[in-house]
Amino acid sequence: MSVYFQVEEYHRPQDLAQAVDILSRFGNRARVIAGGTDILPRRPGVKKIDNINHLVDISKLGLNYLKKENDHIRIGAATDINTIGASPVILSGPYRALSEAATSHSTSTIKNRATVGGNLCNASPCADLALPLLVLDAILVAAGPKGKRHIPIESFFKGVNFSALNREEVLLEIRIPLCSEKAGTAFLKLRRHHTAIDMAVVNVATLLTCKKERCKAARIALGSVAPISFRAKKAESVLVGAELSEEIIQKAAALAAEEAKPIDDVRATATYRKKMVAVLVRRSLENSMRRCRQ
Amino acid sequence: MKKVDIKMQVNNDWYELAVNPGDRLVDVLRDQLDLTGTKEGCGEGECGACTVNLDGKAVLSCLIFAAQADGCTILTIEGLQRGSELHPFQKAFVSESAVQCGYCTPGMIMAANALINNEPEPNEDTIRKSLANNLCRCTGYDKPVKAVLKAAKDMKEDINARFLYCCRKISTTD
Repeated sequence: MSVYFQVEEYHRPQDLAQAVDILSRFGNRARVIAGGTDILPRRPGVKKIDNINHLVDISKLGLNYLKKENDHIRIGAATDINTIGASPVILSGPYRALSEAATSHSTSTIKNRATVGGNLCNASPCADLALPLLVLDAILVAAGPKGKRHIPIESFFKGVNFSALNREEVLLEIRIPLCSEKAGTAFLKLRRHHTAIDMAVVNVATLLTCKKERCKAARIALGSVAPISFRAKKAESVLVGAELSEEIIQKAAALAAEEAKPIDDVRATATYRKKMVAVLVRRSLENSMRRCRQ
Repeated sequence: MKKVDIKMQVNNDWYELAVNPGDRLVDVLRDQLDLTGTKEGCGEGECGACTVNLDGKAVLSCLIFAAQADGCTILTIEGLQRGSELHPFQKAFVSESAVQCGYCTPGMIMAANALINNEPEPNEDTIRKSLANNLCRCTGYDKPVKAVLKAAKDMKEDINARFLYCCRKISTTD
């Protein structure tokens, strides 16, 4: 029988200390595995696994949960995406964008295994869950040999497939600070085909809070249009304090398109992506506005 | 290479196996357990031919390391039929002509089986969503959907028939 991957050892740590110890011992040759749906597909030209010969399975660390507490929603890094998409905690109210992103992530067969931690740690520029978490100001809790640390999601993504996590660190939890119940959020994703399996050409998440039609807070996150997912701060700044009209939303959408730095690839050209950023941001802001409770 | 010892229940039988750390579930099912009903198509999660049920959920056995299935319950297409009698899904796929070359069929049926576990009376929309990860290059997608609808109906009627039979039996013994 041929071996699909030449892996030296499959580690099944029973607690966090063991996991960190294994990761510290093997450094660059080890890789954390939760669902496995990102590490296993082996496509031509993508040789993610070639230098990795130690897999560290974190499924026994009890990182599968989603709960609302006094001041945070806490999601374990190994929580599968179907669980997040179906969770009543985030189905409505200001967390709805996260639910929408989880639902449109991929097919339910993949979402049964794929985890939120994997979606973030793989640091793909088109990661769907990164965007609602960016507009919700999530904090990522990671643990390493020196203990735990909190990383704001805005400083988590460093480049394509490259995050702020050190090699010996494990992502434990995603914390979403409870935000005003009045906020309205939305997520939109454009794909080439209307099949659930395709990745995004452009994906967008937005958050708005308003009082008497005047915008109190605005956040816009863009995906698939730069090496990392990021917040379009210039576009946000024209919205804050302004009266929310069709013109101001158009203006914000145009600014967001300017902030996007896409590339040409198999899915779309850079020019098309830029145009679609404007469309998606406008629609997503409109959705957020409708969902705002004043 | 250090072998991994795993224990898993496949189609109601427990197996204790030593697998390579890089083996996927589909490799172990096919090559070690000779359960060749589960097919490998693309090997990268696009086609769904390798779909099996793991703890009742539809998963892709090409995107799971065998070591990840340690302690889990797995159901493959071979585990559906009772003796020589085909499962209602298998019968419906035949009667609705939802099978041509048949390569995608085990995956489609296992995806549908996981759906039925949670939702005994699915509508067409939920069926299409549940089979969205299963590609077919022969018959297309209408016939499998019809087959799943038919199987769900047959299973419900079967349960009702058994229930009525039991009721009658109880009333006659009184």
